Amino acid sequence: MISKTERVVNYVVLTFLALLVLFPIGSFLLSALSPDRSGKPVGVGDFAWGNFATAWRDADFSRAMAVSMIIAVVVVAGQVLLGLLGGYAFGVLGVVGDKVLFPIVLLGMMISLEAIIVPLYYQFRSFGLTNTIPGIILIHLGMGVPFGVFWMRAAFRALPRSAFESAEMDGAGPLRMLRSMAAPMAKPAIYTLILLSFMWTWNDYFLSLVFLHGDNQTATVALGVFQGKYVTQINLMAAGGLIVAAPVLALYVVFQRKFISGMLAGAIKE
Amino acid sequence: MSTSATKTVVRRRSLRRRTRWVGLGCAALPLGMYALVVLVPLAQSFQYSFFKWDGVTASTWVGFDNYVSFVTDPVLRSTFGHVLVLIGFFALLPIALGLLSAALLTRAKQPGMAVFRWIFFLPQVMTTVVIALVFKRIYAPDGPLNQALRAVGLDSFAKTWLGDFTWALPALGLIGTWVTFGFCMVLFISGTSAIAPELYEAARMDGAGPVREFFAVTLPGLRGQMAVALTLTITAALRTFDLVWITTHGGPGTSTLTPAVALYKAAFQNPQVGLAAAIGVVMAAMCLVIAVVITRISERD
Repeated sequence: MISKTERVVNYVVLTFLALLVLFPIGSFLLSALSPDRSGKPVGVGDFAWGNFATAWRDADFSRAMAVSMIIAVVVVAGQVLLGLLGGYAFGVLGVVGDKVLFPIVLLGMMISLEAIIVPLYYQFRSFGLTNTIPGIILIHLGMGVPFGVFWMRAAFRALPRSAFESAEMDGAGPLRMLRSMAAPMAKPAIYTLILLSFMWTWNDYFLSLVFLHGDNQTATVALGVFQGKYVTQINLMAAGGLIVAAPVLALYVVFQRKFISGMLAGAIKE
Repeated sequence: MSTSATKTVVRRRSLRRRTRWVGLGCAALPLGMYALVVLVPLAQSFQYSFFKWDGVTASTWVGFDNYVSFVTDPVLRSTFGHVLVLIGFFALLPIALGLLSAALLTRAKQPGMAVFRWIFFLPQVMTTVVIALVFKRIYAPDGPLNQALRAVGLDSFAKTWLGDFTWALPALGLIGTWVTFGFCMVLFISGTSAIAPELYEAARMDGAGPVREFFAVTLPGLRGQMAVALTLTITAALRTFDLVWITTHGGPGTSTLTPAVALYKAAFQNPQVGLAAAIGVVMAAMCLVIAVVITRISERD
């Protein structure tokens, strides 16, 4: 339909912009593989793959990555459960007082962490919950409720009404209906929620920086500390960065469609 | 017959009412968590912001003093000036780039688009800490940027970008541009493909060139996407923390201090907890106002 010149122009523009995005990451990757501490790029044959092992060991990433993984997995599981319950309640069952309650939930998507972090920290400190993993999981879960409820509510409302009616005829109670019919039918939305929630939790820096120290450091905070110590060893710093970015990047490679559509849909609603 | 029908209706209705109570039961857990972690601390933030407290000893009521310091404290005031600069880089520049690319690209589907979209979205999924490291290296004294400048004979322009009083803030801003422009592009490109082709045909019939076509059809058609992009990027500029904390800690001096960094320092480094809470309240209010104003404008005819 479009002419050849137009097609060529399209590709030239796209390629140029894509290179703008890729160049910084590519050069970061090359310095992670450089045997030279300045991170000077070298040929394929001289790649120092050992940098990753060295960085892993020196920064004690095994502990930090494990902490991040535990937090992310528990938060994702909790987020899905809370999203299912809340979304099902607001989207299918109806909730007493939902005319007031639902806008309050939506408001939560616009409340930035900065508005609550100060009291959150000092209150949690008085309960002995700072620098504990359950404490930070609780915060991630509470802050994730608005998006989870909003997201699952939309998914449940998109399901055909008739499915619920016939299940009701069969005498299924509300909770059995959720478990055996609604949740399985909303699987695509649940998968997107899992991916986004994992990414947000894993990538968090501010909350972890405030709440977790020492042995409870997450991977992102450990990376921040590591790069401060190894200012002159660019190659190790870059290798460490790639290690921390790897889990989300791997998911992004496999589930790119879900990531992009989920983030666009999530953004457009806000 | 009719009485039994009425009975069914009544039973249905009471069933509905009952499910709404079941619904509240289902929603109780998520609502409770949300209230505990978000709503209660939000209210406490307001309360804290009227006190002077070092986090340890007893606090004293100071009224609006903490809010007054947004005007009287030049350092705190300057953080909002920095945000304005960052908005230029985080919001205006990426949106301009996104619009330009949406205008240059024809709206026909062509192979390979998925790959490009994957690339443009890449910065969105990377943690900011890693992005900060990527650019810390690029801006380093003997990093790629300075090497490139020296290679083309512009040695005098080479500098420690993130350690320079004048250049550190724009250098940080450009990182924001890099992060957000791909997102804006994907948003706008998918937006243009949703504009009815008849509008373009009509414009062409009226003899509109590509430029007029862009202003008459594309730009109005992207109004919703523009609102989304503006809201997200402006709030991102206002809330910048990770990037600054990893690269400059707000320095040199206070030349890259943002409200979020000022909040962190006031809350946890040399505690002026009340002031920190006030910064948080002001930031949240600004985010809310920005979102509401932009939505209003975009929905107005």
